[in-house]
Amino acid sequence: MIAGVAAVGAAAAAGLYRFTDLFRRHYAPTPYDDLLGQLVDREQAARLGAKVAGGANAGALAARLRAALTGGLTAAAIADAGAGRVQDVDGWLLPDSVALLSALAARA
Amino acid sequence: MTAPIDARTLPSGTVLTPDLAIIGGGPAGISLALALANTKLNILLLESGGENFDPANQKMYAGDADGVHYTALDAGRLRFLGGSTNHWGGWCRPLDAIDFEKRDWIPHSGWPMSRKSLEGYYQHAQKLVEAGPWIYDKADAIIAAKGELLPLGDGGIYTSWFQFSKTRDSDLPTYFGHRYEDDLKRSRVKVLLNANVTGIRLAPDAKRVERLDGATLNGKSFTVKPRFTVLACGGMENVRLLLASNDVMTAGIGNQNDLVGRFFGDNPTPRDVGTMVVFSGALAPYYNNTMQMGDGPVMRATFSPTGDFCRAKKVAGSLTTVEQPVELDETGKAAVITTALALGVDASSAKAYSIGCGMELLPDPDRRLTLTGEKDALGLPRLKLHMTMAEADFTLYRKTLQELGRQLLASKTGMLRLNFDKREEWSKTMDWGNHHLGTTRMHADPGQGVVDANQMVHGIGNLYVAGSSVFPTYGSSNPTLNLLALTLRLADHLKKATA
Ligand SMILES: Cc1cc2nc3c(=O)[nH]c(=O)nc-3n(C[C@H](O)[C@H](O)[C@H](O)COP(=O)(O)OP(=O)(O)OC[C@H]3O[C@@H](n4cnc5c(N)ncnc54)[C@H](O)[C@@H]3O)c2cc1C
Repeated sequence: MIAGVAAVGAAAAAGLYRFTDLFRRHYAPTPYDDLLGQLVDREQAARLGAKVAGGANAGALAARLRAALTGGLTAAAIADAGAGRVQDVDGWLLPDSVALLSALAARA
Repeated sequence: MTAPIDARTLPSGTVLTPDLAIIGGGPAGISLALALANTKLNILLLESGGENFDPANQKMYAGDADGVHYTALDAGRLRFLGGSTNHWGGWCRPLDAIDFEKRDWIPHSGWPMSRKSLEGYYQHAQKLVEAGPWIYDKADAIIAAKGELLPLGDGGIYTSWFQFSKTRDSDLPTYFGHRYEDDLKRSRVKVLLNANVTGIRLAPDAKRVERLDGATLNGKSFTVKPRFTVLACGGMENVRLLLASNDVMTAGIGNQNDLVGRFFGDNPTPRDVGTMVVFSGALAPYYNNTMQMGDGPVMRATFSPTGDFCRAKKVAGSLTTVEQPVELDETGKAAVITTALALGVDASSAKAYSIGCGMELLPDPDRRLTLTGEKDALGLPRLKLHMTMAEADFTLYRKTLQELGRQLLASKTGMLRLNFDKREEWSKTMDWGNHHLGTTRMHADPGQGVVDANQMVHGIGNLYVAGSSVFPTYGSSNPTLNLLALTLRLADHLKKATA
């Protein structure tokens, strides 16, 4: 088992992230919270997003994401993988939407 | 029973006159001899070694190498009865139909025959390697009882299968010398051990082999005057004998177009090329280990690109295998957590594995074997290998890995990390299959190949070459099952040609 994945997975599966803020870190409000709110674990996403190459600023990322995430992150991620919209982040192949949202989490 | 004869006991100057001389008692030579044993042909199988390893004999395989790091020439093959199957791994898989095709994105690719022309020989070859019933392409259904296949969804990569050579009552693969020695004894085939062929002598018109020069390490010499000769000394030594036999054709036999020894190929097997995460953590054991299917064959799963994907994306062949479990670093954990949650998948039991592969190299005429000025104990010039690997060999395989990664995501099964980008990174974990391919390539056009579609050396009516040196393009499957199917096809041809 990959340490660290277990707790988050179990918590997500139990719906804890939806209904309590127990484990959730508090972040200062940003103009992108409509997007960042779709991340179940913003801290992990920010860690990953720090590795996303390219200099796009948060505003530009948010503009792209608002267009891409109209149906929500899960639908976008699945559609990205299906259509071959995949990015290499530190070697990891990620759906575009996941890579961009992670980058936003790192830069917001 | 015909016991093997030790050539060291022959009176010097002995002349032997078989119908067919087979030079080399590896799997190709042994299988050819057995396939023709029930014909009227008097067959002489000349094997350089004895029944067991002998360091003095093995030393004759030593040679030089430069370029990309490669296995020492006397470490990647064995010079005694059974040849390199005395240390092979027993991995078997037929070549794919696309491996035979001319692929316009791969220069010099294409066989002068299709996979179909081997279909009739694969079952017999499979018996020879003792890899059990032929279920390479039917394994998915049979295997379900042993654990679920990883769902990959639609795409260019599918789960394919290796079968393993397995000697009865043993976990070791079939060592052709030990396994078939008794069959040879029971047959009419005459086996001459410790018999080194040191020269192939052509008639002055260079159209026929007139005789073979033979020598032993204890100083005996003998002559063979066969009606037909098959060279089956392995993908390196076939080259050495052809190039060194240069009294009539001064560039070496079959080398009028400077092709003998060129296009050397192997299947690179870089390790840890990627990290594969399975979100559910459930990976059937046949992915990262061999597994016996009840009383049936020993098998292992591998990820292979489909022919359509290869054509569409212009990639070469590859067989990606799952290896040992690995730990992820913090970025890796963040990638898995973030991606799994985004896909709506529970990754609480996720597991990560290193992956490796066997790749198909692109043919390169400059990757070649030549003779050096140094000589072995019998006076034969030694070989030098110039080894290369192109940037494209890596970049094409990366495209295949990217597709595997994409499919893992699309099916919500898992995800993939490409561990290497730069050539130096790939090179660090590079290993080789020790599959010696392509050096006497098959082509219908004498200007582009050493042997024709029947494995006859162009222009020399009674000289043939058996083994993987005739593969004009390599594929990514391990060669032995395939070279045996080809050899059995050659046996059928020889039945007619020698009649
Ligand atoms: C470590 C290792 C692992 C391998 N694993 C696999 C695997 O898992 N699957 C697979 O498909 N393949 C594998 N291979 C490759 C496999 O061993 C070869 O494909 C196969 O042995 C080639 O058969 P051959 O008969 O053409 O040549 P060889 O096996 O090389 O036999 C040639 C024979 O010719 C004899 N000879 C050489 N010179 C002379 C001469 N001048 N006169 C008389 N006789 C001579 C030699 O002594 C030898 O017996 C492996 C190879 C190695 C080295």
